[in-house]
Amino acid sequence: MASFLRHYGSLIGMASIVLFFWIALPDTFMTLRNWLNISQQLSMLVVVAVTMTVVMVMGDFDLSVGAMASLSGVVAAVLFTQGLPVPVALAGALAVGLLGGLANGVLVSLLGILPFVATLATLTMFSGAAFLVSGGKTIFGRDIPQGFADFARSGLPLGTWDGKPVLFPALTLLAAAVTFAVWLVLEHTLYGRRLYAIGGNAEAARLAGVRVTALRLSAFAFTGVGAAVAGLMYASRVASANPVQGDGLMLTAIAAVFLGMTVTRDGQPHVLATVAGVVTLGVMDNGLTQLQVDSYVRQVLVGAIILVAVSISALGRRAIRLR
Amino acid sequence: MPELNLSGLVKTFGPARALDGAALSLRGGEVHALMGENGAGKSTLIRILAGLETADSGAVTLDGAPLRLGSPALAEAAGFRFLHQELQVVPALSVAENMHLARPYPHRFGLVDWPALHKAATAALARLGTTHIDPRAMMGSLGTGDQMLVRIAATLLTEGAAPWAYVMDEPTAALTGTEAARLFEAIAALKAAGAAILYVSHRMDEVMTLSDRITVLRDGRHVATRDRSATTRDEIIRDMTGRDLTDLFPRRIPATAEPVLSVRDLRAAGLGPLSFDVAAGEVLGVAGLSGSGREVLLRALIGAVPRKGDLSLRGAALATDPAGTWAQGLAYVPPERRTEGVMPRRALAETVVLPHLGRLSRLGFIRRRAATRLVARLARDVRLKASGPDQPVAELSGGNQQKVLFARALAGDPAVLLLDEPTRGVDVGAKFDIYALIRDLAAKGNAVIMVSSDLPELIGLSDRIAVLAAGRITGTLPAAGLTEAALLTACYQRES
Repeated sequence: MASFLRHYGSLIGMASIVLFFWIALPDTFMTLRNWLNISQQLSMLVVVAVTMTVVMVMGDFDLSVGAMASLSGVVAAVLFTQGLPVPVALAGALAVGLLGGLANGVLVSLLGILPFVATLATLTMFSGAAFLVSGGKTIFGRDIPQGFADFARSGLPLGTWDGKPVLFPALTLLAAAVTFAVWLVLEHTLYGRRLYAIGGNAEAARLAGVRVTALRLSAFAFTGVGAAVAGLMYASRVASANPVQGDGLMLTAIAAVFLGMTVTRDGQPHVLATVAGVVTLGVMDNGLTQLQVDSYVRQVLVGAIILVAVSISALGRRAIRLR
Repeated sequence: MPELNLSGLVKTFGPARALDGAALSLRGGEVHALMGENGAGKSTLIRILAGLETADSGAVTLDGAPLRLGSPALAEAAGFRFLHQELQVVPALSVAENMHLARPYPHRFGLVDWPALHKAATAALARLGTTHIDPRAMMGSLGTGDQMLVRIAATLLTEGAAPWAYVMDEPTAALTGTEAARLFEAIAALKAAGAAILYVSHRMDEVMTLSDRITVLRDGRHVATRDRSATTRDEIIRDMTGRDLTDLFPRRIPATAEPVLSVRDLRAAGLGPLSFDVAAGEVLGVAGLSGSGREVLLRALIGAVPRKGDLSLRGAALATDPAGTWAQGLAYVPPERRTEGVMPRRALAETVVLPHLGRLSRLGFIRRRAATRLVARLARDVRLKASGPDQPVAELSGGNQQKVLFARALAGDPAVLLLDEPTRGVDVGAKFDIYALIRDLAAKGNAVIMVSSDLPELIGLSDRIAVLAAGRITGTLPAAGLTEAALLTACYQRES
């Protein structure tokens, strides 16, 4: 029973959440339009959570991703105001993500600072830098090129419904592409399996010839770039950039990875499980909003669900250990 | 004098019988050695005494009256105290505070009475004949041996039922010679005060000097309880293994003369300079006391610790990091399986393929089918008992976990196999399999360097044995015809 709960408890929980909203909102919840809407809303979170999974498989984590997402959006916007072409501005923002991620990697793997402390410090620095770069203001309107803002509104046409065109959102496509790429890397490449080995037992991995220091460093860089991509997606979606707009992504992303870990057989982070975690959180948010549940109550509920899922998983694991 | 009697103990874990009629009698005022191969049931018996496991059946009596066990509190009330290899200490608190962790501190005016606390600690230590430990010192600044003495002294502080039986599980495993000598003094003091000591150890020398009686378990059964003065080592070994030791080791095949690994002026922390060669098909044993450099040698060869010197593998300079040395054809089985070897919660296949992922991938992508085939073949070769390649390593027995590491080492058909304590914590059946693997490998022309503190194993498997003392090789002895006593004597000899 305990092992059944451990293996399937979270999946059943996730399915029953979907089922609950389907019944409670018969007309609006289980519709293509709503799901496309959810997928677009969640696309940034998916990118952050999925790239966060890369460091979490090593047993590390990165608190600075939200601040990095804010920073990259602001950097791109400021470069736009300088009249630079869109590709150059985007490259600049991504470079900032890469450098920030490398900085985290150096602190954690070369200097041996705990990820919590190192990324808490860089979180503060990235956040301060975002305010510095933007002058503390929201950059919007004519400063943001139309082509950049249009990206988030574009998509693959799926047909028309009620006379309006239905699009498969470009942001969702991008998130799916990132997910697929990270899944491929973590599950099917040398690089990914070595990251998993570090998470399994870092000292054993080192003695077996895994270059732990270099790999950890690169994984943090990966996560930094992911956060920057998410920041750009956010900026495109709201056609503006301010120095705090990505901050909320970090806690939710970590929560999603943990929620996902309750689904996997071995209790390890896994890309697809992370996506399941993100979707669960997103569906709850969407459904509760439609039910007009107060947003503060919503927050309490989402936190409680995470606790319940993680507790069940921990209890299941303990039952197995006692056996 | 109290007398504890255990008889007919049976304990099963699923299909496995850990105890199958184990018995033991323990009297106040004696040191009683409990011996047996790994997996013989010693630790299960101790866990039952400690109340961590409950026997399926069997009788436990104290002075003739039935004794109820089953929880740590009951064990403590019965007067048992346990000293494990991994001591539970708080390094950042003082010695005296560590001794008072489980009991109230002396108070005065509602505040801790520090002088009284330190006096109580000093008095308890003195009862063991220990005067060199300052009760104000931080626990973390003490060596393992002194920490153990502090833990023993703490048991003497108890109010109420005084402890009368001490269970010591491999207490000298991590101690230096001096520390062990101090522990033996403390044991003598406890014994003189009427306490019983149940002493679990693999070290024949200690058992033969310390103990009054020796009980041997094999496969969960009581084999014999013998008075130390009326028995011999050989008899105890026969009791433990059920056979004469000479049968343990496969026949050796002469080595060739072609050197594979050549080491010149190797230096590392606590090691060197030292030089040696290993030939193809040769098993080079390395003996030495703890602290002789025995622990560092293989780590230096594989590149896990910084080193200097001219090392070459088949004429090519040897890499200085594990990634490089594995790629060149070295393979390493580390001494601490759980912390340095396996990934406990992961599928065993992941541990096996880890150093070989480079060979098993094309353009960075893992060739899954090749990896699966490799793991299946190796699992057969090492006679691994597991439910499948996806079983987490932590679910396997010690012996099978070690076989996972052997499978990993053999996967690359290594030119030189480095074995650090290859049978530590391995049951006797797996030991045979591992010995056979080592011999087969040497017969195929691979070179093996084996560091072991198990002298019979070294003598039985090696072609030559290099003796380390103070970081240097003080002699290289042919293993054929070597006796344990001669090898031990060589270990104790410092270079002149």
